[in-house]
Amino acid sequence: MTGRTAAARLPLRAVRGRGRRPGSGWHAYLFIAPSLLGVVAFLLLPMVIVLVLSLFDWELLSAPEFAGLDNYRRLAADGETWHSLVVTAGYVLLCIPLQTVLALALAMLLNQRIKGVRFYRSLFVIPWMATPIVLALIWNWIFDPRDGAINSALALVGITGPDWLSDPAWALPAVALVSVWQHTGYNMLFFLAGLQGIPQELYDAAATDGATSAQRFWRVTLPLLNPTMFFVTVTNLIGAFQVFDTVYAMTNGGPSRSTEVLNFRIFETAFKEFDFGYAATLSTLLFAVIFLVTVAQVRFFGKRTTYDLS
Amino acid sequence: MTKRILVYAALAAGAFLSVFPYLLVVLTAVKTQAQLSSTPPWLPGWPPTTDNLAKMLGGDFPRYLLNTAVMTALLTAGQLVFTTFAAYAFARLRFTGRDVLFWLYVATMMVPSAVTMIPLFLIMRELDLVNTWYGLLAPYILGTPYGIFLMRQFFKSLPAGLEEAARIDGAGPMTILLRVLLPLCRPALGTLVIITVISSWNSFLWPLIITSGDDTRVITVAIATLKDGIGVDYHLMMAGSLIALAPMVAVFIFFQKHIVRSVVLTGLK
Repeated sequence: MTGRTAAARLPLRAVRGRGRRPGSGWHAYLFIAPSLLGVVAFLLLPMVIVLVLSLFDWELLSAPEFAGLDNYRRLAADGETWHSLVVTAGYVLLCIPLQTVLALALAMLLNQRIKGVRFYRSLFVIPWMATPIVLALIWNWIFDPRDGAINSALALVGITGPDWLSDPAWALPAVALVSVWQHTGYNMLFFLAGLQGIPQELYDAAATDGATSAQRFWRVTLPLLNPTMFFVTVTNLIGAFQVFDTVYAMTNGGPSRSTEVLNFRIFETAFKEFDFGYAATLSTLLFAVIFLVTVAQVRFFGKRTTYDLS
Repeated sequence: MTKRILVYAALAAGAFLSVFPYLLVVLTAVKTQAQLSSTPPWLPGWPPTTDNLAKMLGGDFPRYLLNTAVMTALLTAGQLVFTTFAAYAFARLRFTGRDVLFWLYVATMMVPSAVTMIPLFLIMRELDLVNTWYGLLAPYILGTPYGIFLMRQFFKSLPAGLEEAARIDGAGPMTILLRVLLPLCRPALGTLVIITVISSWNSFLWPLIITSGDDTRVITVAIATLKDGIGVDYHLMMAGSLIALAPMVAVFIFFQKHIVRSVVLTGLK
């Protein structure tokens, strides 16, 4: 995707002429063949099956019955699904800005000469390794309204904490917080790598020109971090839209559907109501949403990539 | 000076937040049931007991650990080889349909995994691979789009001049990849290994669906079963969690060096 925009900027003939020998293309196909087999058999084929399934009415025990666009008509009028889309959007908006800003800030802190910098870099990545199932158990306990760690700490300063996971207003922020906790350090690593890739001369030149540290950040650091920002936000958004494990183990979609993200609703429709056809329709919707958001990001970052660092 | 103090304060606070839940796991794993109810979660029970760990390790847990280790090793080996090949082609070679194919790969990352599980299961059933190692491994052993996306970004960051020089000396793509680029990628490969080891070790939904017997049961599924079996026995639960988490922490400490080196190397260019 970034390669596409980078290539588009070069005159086509120059690309074709440079260092290319006849027949060198088939090597490339050999290189991608195994992974292509995997992608086709285990990702694209299931995708096609889901698409086809969305045109059928199929409840586990009955035979699949062709239903045309019935599932999609049902979708248009399905208030619960629109509710879960709103919940998903809320979750994404709670997680992504916070964890991206925190990760970048941490990376900038850890890009300095600091005692024990390697130790800190490692510590911050530790949350990312936790198994989601185990993680949910631990955090449910931390969020416990009476003897959980958070409310006990709040009580020390005289604040009565909310009933986190049983309060519809707080459950989604609580789940989002766990995601931020788990992913910030991991994203920090990519920002750190990006920061270290920025040549010191650029900062020196900016300083010579009298740039303030804020100007250096906005004019040098951020633009040059563009490829990193692209990778981090694209993969994180795709992940956030598909959040499942944490919701499943922490709140099971509740209370009063306040954490029922779309992916969870799909799971419920398929495995609790056994309405496979409609579940497939819902996943087509989720796929479309993620696709549109990703395309928007590619356009946004593509326009800003003025450095050939991607 | 004040700035330095603030920096250290921020780092210390962040570090504490990062490890606090792990501390709870360790503290709870060595408590007796009586200590569990008589002490707050963040205080140690005295004296610590190894009974919970012994009880977990005395049962079928070692077997599930071995299964998980075998699965993780095979998936990581596959990911390393096939992802590197594909990422190199997408980053450095020109071929018809490259961008279309790469878009397809990226598109597959957007597919909700909870639902592809159904068709995937149907496919495995057709192939008669349910409850076999082949079924468990097949969908992930040929590399993942995420890994390819990641490695492609790394390959693209290497200077083009390196390859050109080798090409003038008559090296083909394979030689260039293995002799010129891969040695420079070693740190990035370290990152890929960590990502794959951890995601394989933690994978839950697919093993849950595709396996049913002890021969292929992995640790995450065992813990989930445990949860249903023992209810709120947090001390046992945390002992199991500790056993599942410890190998990952060990792997991380071992590879942590590579991540830092990867960071340093990227900084050289």
